[in-house]
Amino acid sequence: MEITLREEANVTILSLKGRLDMATGSALKEQVKKLFEKEKTAIHLNLGEVEFINSSGLGALVSVMKEIRLRKGRLTLSDLASYVQEIFEITQLSHIFEIFTTEVEALNSYQAVTTG
Amino acid sequence: MPASEFTYPSVAASEEKMLDDVKMVLQENGVDEYLQDSFMLVVSEAFTNALVHGNEQNPQKTIKLVLNVNKEVLSADIVDKGRGGLDKVEHRYPPTMFSEGGRGVDIMRHFASSVRFTETQYGGLKVSIRFDLIKKNKEERLT
Repeated sequence: MEITLREEANVTILSLKGRLDMATGSALKEQVKKLFEKEKTAIHLNLGEVEFINSSGLGALVSVMKEIRLRKGRLTLSDLASYVQEIFEITQLSHIFEIFTTEVEALNSYQAVTTG
Repeated sequence: MPASEFTYPSVAASEEKMLDDVKMVLQENGVDEYLQDSFMLVVSEAFTNALVHGNEQNPQKTIKLVLNVNKEVLSADIVDKGRGGLDKVEHRYPPTMFSEGGRGVDIMRHFASSVRFTETQYGGLKVSIRFDLIKKNKEERLT
């Protein structure tokens, strides 16, 4: 899996590409841990190019979310393929993650929180 | 078509290799993309279970995968060399909302036509997954 990072208006955006499973889920957790060291806790994950996710990948996302919440930060997700969305629905994880249709909508929501 | 058989060491990197192998077999047999995704997901759940809970990531212990693909059915048998796997499956606790694991069996049962857990004569767990294509095609025609 490839992870690319960029920053926009104090939100760190990680774009994931490829398979999110046991091995790559660990890589994602490591990447996020490095962000915590830089005190970055507003994190958006763009899953638009995730072609495969299983319960280990979902577990990694839950782990990242819990770590961010512990640090009073915020995690958003966007651009889920319909197949990935279906997996979030059947596991009911769609109820605990903030999921946006597009990255722009997700980033706008951070602005709304800041200015609101 | 004859069965495709693969054997993997119980290391995390085997999951990627296994997914590549399954995808290759499905593509060679012209299986449609949604079915490929669903089948690979279900096989990966059984494989991860064998890797982590069955063989406890011991590289000396292998995981066997047998695939059968034809016009009527996609099936996979995943066999580990652990002990007491059947008991663990039967007595598993359902995951809470914030659990990091425990969702694999539910995902398998959602997508597959059937998932069967049995114990091998050596005490390992065998997971038999079946996607009935004929039934699925009939359902699609009815909707």
